[in-house]
Amino acid sequence: MPLSAQPASSAEPYVLAASLDNARHLSSLLRAVHFQDHATCFATANGLRVTVEDAKCIQANAFIQAEIFQEYTVQEESVTFRINLSVLLDCLTIFGTSSLPGTSTALRMCYRGYGYPLMLLLEEGGVVTVCKINTQEPDELLDFDFCSTKVVNKIILQSEGLREAFAELDMTSEVLQITMSPDKPYFRLSTFGNAGSAHLDYPRDSDLMEAFHCNQTQTNRYKISLLKPSTKALALSCKVSIRTDAQGFLSLQYMIRNEDGQICFVEYYCCPDEDITEAEL
Amino acid sequence: MKCVIGGAHLRVFGRAIHALARISDEFWFDPIEKGLALRSVNSSRSAYACVFFSSMFFQHYCWAAVSQPCQKEKQFSLPCKLIIKSVLPVFRCVNVLERNVEKCSIYTNINDHHITFQLLCKHGVVKTYNLMFQDCDPLQAVFAKHLCPNVLKVHSRLLAEIMIHFPTSQEEVTLSVTPMKVCFKSYTEEDTDFSKTVLTEIQLNPEEFDYFQVGVDSEVTFCLKELRGLLAFSESTSVPVSIHFDVSGKPIAFSIEDMVLEANFILATLSDIEKERASQQAPESSKTHTGKSDKTSVDRENSGAVASKKPQRNSNTAPAKPASPLAKQEIKDVPRAAKREVTGTEGTAVTKAEERAALGEAAGAQYQKFHSLFFGAVSWTQSIGVQFFSKLELDGSYLYSKLVG
Repeated sequence: MPLSAQPASSAEPYVLAASLDNARHLSSLLRAVHFQDHATCFATANGLRVTVEDAKCIQANAFIQAEIFQEYTVQEESVTFRINLSVLLDCLTIFGTSSLPGTSTALRMCYRGYGYPLMLLLEEGGVVTVCKINTQEPDELLDFDFCSTKVVNKIILQSEGLREAFAELDMTSEVLQITMSPDKPYFRLSTFGNAGSAHLDYPRDSDLMEAFHCNQTQTNRYKISLLKPSTKALALSCKVSIRTDAQGFLSLQYMIRNEDGQICFVEYYCCPDEDITEAEL
Repeated sequence: MKCVIGGAHLRVFGRAIHALARISDEFWFDPIEKGLALRSVNSSRSAYACVFFSSMFFQHYCWAAVSQPCQKEKQFSLPCKLIIKSVLPVFRCVNVLERNVEKCSIYTNINDHHITFQLLCKHGVVKTYNLMFQDCDPLQAVFAKHLCPNVLKVHSRLLAEIMIHFPTSQEEVTLSVTPMKVCFKSYTEEDTDFSKTVLTEIQLNPEEFDYFQVGVDSEVTFCLKELRGLLAFSESTSVPVSIHFDVSGKPIAFSIEDMVLEANFILATLSDIEKERASQQAPESSKTHTGKSDKTSVDRENSGAVASKKPQRNSNTAPAKPASPLAKQEIKDVPRAAKREVTGTEGTAVTKAEERAALGEAAGAQYQKFHSLFFGAVSWTQSIGVQFFSKLELDGSYLYSKLVG
């Protein structure tokens, strides 16, 4: 399809049209899930969801609900396309990444439909940039089928308690082992690296613990290289919810407050590495 | 062995580990009855560090495995060798350690070959590190500090302020002492391109030191990189640093001692033989200050000049000196084939100047000028003089303009 430079005010409707006064509300969230070059965008009347996957084991989703946008219209029931996330982020931050107080990049996003590029109009200080990014066929996405009824263990922690832990994870360890239990050690993160093992224990009565609902002792291992990118989402968030289901699938949900105080969510789903029932030293 | 470190002492312990990390990648963890010794030695055996924490440093210190009587034969717990890289993460961010960590427990498990570091942090969080160690032979350097003729004691803050002037790329530093003064200066190789290096020299008065004893004039060169670890560590203890040393070639020891700990960093120093060997390319001895500048002058066209400048400088410090730089000048000019006839004449000039050295500096210099004017020597200052005078002869008006303009 030719990339025609038709003005935004053309009579042809866009299946997706959205405006944001501050593009950072979108770019910071997208960065929190940017561990692969490509992402699938999924737009409904509720808002925009951007999904990134790797190795058929991990999936990250960034949710930007419709209320965040100053203008948001979706003409079809759902609009889906695959896009190069690295390029999208480069365009959204085309005026630079440093945030001076008072200045922000305004964004208008338009998509005409299947086969058309995603058009971005970015404006800062009177300078306008128009970007057109090619879209592709959306991929088949994993469905972790993680609903609240299947959750075995769930805790909600204040992010500040975990930030240091995740940043300092011993990367010589192949796995990150997560233990959740109604008894000691309650919540434990473990690594097994070249020098030895390291364990981080959070007691259920810690003031970092906002909610503690563990019914069963579960110990699961996850590939540390897959989970390490979630550190970016953790750094942005104020709270994180950690849930596991009966098969050991892990769900990490991060509550992120943007510059205007609005709440957005990023979630990571991860498959367990292997089945073990007891923590090893 | 089991011990507990609390509160402010955590920072000191963490700094000690970081200081040992500057020496080598591994360290010896050596608990004894009186306390815990941490030792490190570098691969070339030219730097050794030992930090000893007495049992009073710890909130709780227990050496023998009391609960296991069957281990009686293992009463002497052997030292363990740990990789520093694996321990550093435990004591990361030493400055905030006090704020975040309430206490740290360390216990050894000989059977499992593990040392466990357990940190009780704020918010009830517990960090446990189980690190593997290797059995090893005991390590101890033998160095009789009390036999050193030179002892300086200086506050760690002052020593840090001195060392901060040296660029971080500076590898070696020379400490030279006489009963009158102390001087820290950068050490340079004979083949250093002086136009591209920064040379730093800091001179101190004996009064600046808490304790000053110089039994023998000496000039010792040691590795600064290895010392920096001790400097950072000493700042956390605010105890003065003692420096024990002898002549070049013998080790230099930097020590800190207080009620609960004792740290010794023993560094090898460059020996004279090495220095002499290095300076064989430039045919002169490099023992004095003048030696260094003379080296640069070998490369210059008018090398004689710098040496001849020396007399003026040296006269301030030691009137007897002038003869030697001139003598050096003579030696230096010999290998330069290009200006042979000048050499000969210059040589004559030198001899005459030497004779008149007794008359004093100014006289000597003037005689040089005089002689060089006569014989057209190529020394630098003189060449200016020659120009000046010749111009005077040729053009009186030029001289006038020089005076006025």
